[in-house]
Amino acid sequence: MPAAVAVKDRLFLAVAVLRVVLLGNAVLLNIWHAEELQRPAAGVACLVLMTAWTGIATWAYAEPRRRTFRLLAADLGIAMGLLLVSPLVKDDGVTSSVPGFWVIAALAAWAIQYRAAGGLAAGALLAGADLARQEVDASDYGNTFLLLVGGAILGFMCQSLQEMATERDVAERAAAVAAERARLARAVHDGVLQVLALVQRRGRELGGDGAELGRLAGEQEHALRALIREQDEVSVAGGDTVDVGAALTRLERRDQVTVSTPGVPVELPAATALELVAATSACLDNVRTHVGTDAPAWVLLQAFPDRVEVSVRDDGPGIPAGRLDEAAAQGRLGVAESIRGRIADLGGTADLVSGDFGTEWELVVPRPGAGLGSAS
Amino acid sequence: MRVMVVDDHPMWRDAVERDLAAAGLEVVAVAATGREALARFPAARPDVVVLDLQIPEPDGVAVTAAIAQQDPDVRVLILSASGEQADVLAAVKAGATGYLVKSASREELLDAVRRTADGDPVFTPGLAGLVLGEFQRTSDSPDDPRLTDRETEVLKMVAKGLSYRQIAERLVLSHRTVQNHVQNTLRKLQMHNRVELTRYAIERGLDADG
Repeated sequence: MPAAVAVKDRLFLAVAVLRVVLLGNAVLLNIWHAEELQRPAAGVACLVLMTAWTGIATWAYAEPRRRTFRLLAADLGIAMGLLLVSPLVKDDGVTSSVPGFWVIAALAAWAIQYRAAGGLAAGALLAGADLARQEVDASDYGNTFLLLVGGAILGFMCQSLQEMATERDVAERAAAVAAERARLARAVHDGVLQVLALVQRRGRELGGDGAELGRLAGEQEHALRALIREQDEVSVAGGDTVDVGAALTRLERRDQVTVSTPGVPVELPAATALELVAATSACLDNVRTHVGTDAPAWVLLQAFPDRVEVSVRDDGPGIPAGRLDEAAAQGRLGVAESIRGRIADLGGTADLVSGDFGTEWELVVPRPGAGLGSAS
Repeated sequence: MRVMVVDDHPMWRDAVERDLAAAGLEVVAVAATGREALARFPAARPDVVVLDLQIPEPDGVAVTAAIAQQDPDVRVLILSASGEQADVLAAVKAGATGYLVKSASREELLDAVRRTADGDPVFTPGLAGLVLGEFQRTSDSPDDPRLTDRETEVLKMVAKGLSYRQIAERLVLSHRTVQNHVQNTLRKLQMHNRVELTRYAIERGLDADG
């Protein structure tokens, strides 16, 4: 489990830094309250031991193979010993110990190495030593409680971190395998597409049954290409957003509907994307109804940071001027109104332009939280 | 007109070569791999290279970049079976001026080769959509080349399936002007590619002063 080992290494590195900081804190506090020292020489000896052990421990914990039970036992033993000798070094009635918070480094080491159980055990032993050296009052109870709970929680968190790192490792490996599989599949797909395109081309030239074969090959080519594009656009974002580009691409029909997208996933909330695709689909149905079942149509998706725009165009004769207003005045809310209504519900606009160049819908829908789901 | 055909599928290469020859175009070289293509290109001196993107190393994008650097006047028409969007866009950024799917008919292919030779960009609506997306995505830096409103308008119309003739009629422009707008779009896209490369080089300390 290399990821779990890496996490452990990093946690021990953090403990090394913590140990130095706590050492500095303990030295300063002992100098500050030097008058509390009953035996100054013993106090200095304790601090020298702490400094030396901080150096040794930092070196020893840096290498995974040196993190043996003996090292951890020595670490905890020294911390407990320093707590226990504190009453002999300091004046009677002084509640602070010589090592102070420095003992937490040993607790953290146990929590990292032996997880929740280790943290709890080390916490219990340190709390025991702390209680044994003095008369118990309310604040000592607090310290004991903190050592026990803190040790267990720290251990649990270290365990979770290592497990998460392992899981991430597995997921990354799975993604790499999937990418490699996709690369291999691409080579096969390309070969199939080449042959289908060739059959289609030659079939058209041969006519008759050949043309029929060509048409079938064309359908399969189209289906395979749509599949590849969809796979390429499978979003890693997941959750409740949908790539509206991939969804619109599904509306493509051979020799009839052409869909153009920016080529990168365009994420929209699922409900918005669904409505936008439904409205686009309604526009295309309209083309089939009013221009012809085989009439070509083009769909263009554009993504801006604050909005997406979908254009649907046909090459038909256009809608005679006033025809829509007339229908609306007669209270016939046709397809056009239903498309406008759908887009208006999404907070966007739907405009219809018609002329001898054909008919064009411009559907504009705002993107929520502009910048969050950016296309780049 | 001198044409070079690069495709690793012999059946395809032969079919394209036959169609071009039958239409009176001179196929001066064929190649099955990127390496062959680069080796034969200097001697063949084609006007147009009809290039498949998925060929053995170096791939179509790299070949496009290499030959565009050797001879800025050569025109590259991408003929791709899979139409992988990222690859097509990369090839156009590298200097290709046309793109056609392989399922296009013989007439469409001949028309595309002739137009490419004339310097007329051969866009599909899909490619226009990709190029539009590229400019919309990367317009955050003031150094980047931008499209004018007119160029964006023309490109949008290409993406919506209008032919150059239809665009000219609708915008009351000459056919030539529409072509120029599309050419400028491609030029800016390729320039943008160079700006990106330069920026990349400077960031990595690869520039001459660094």
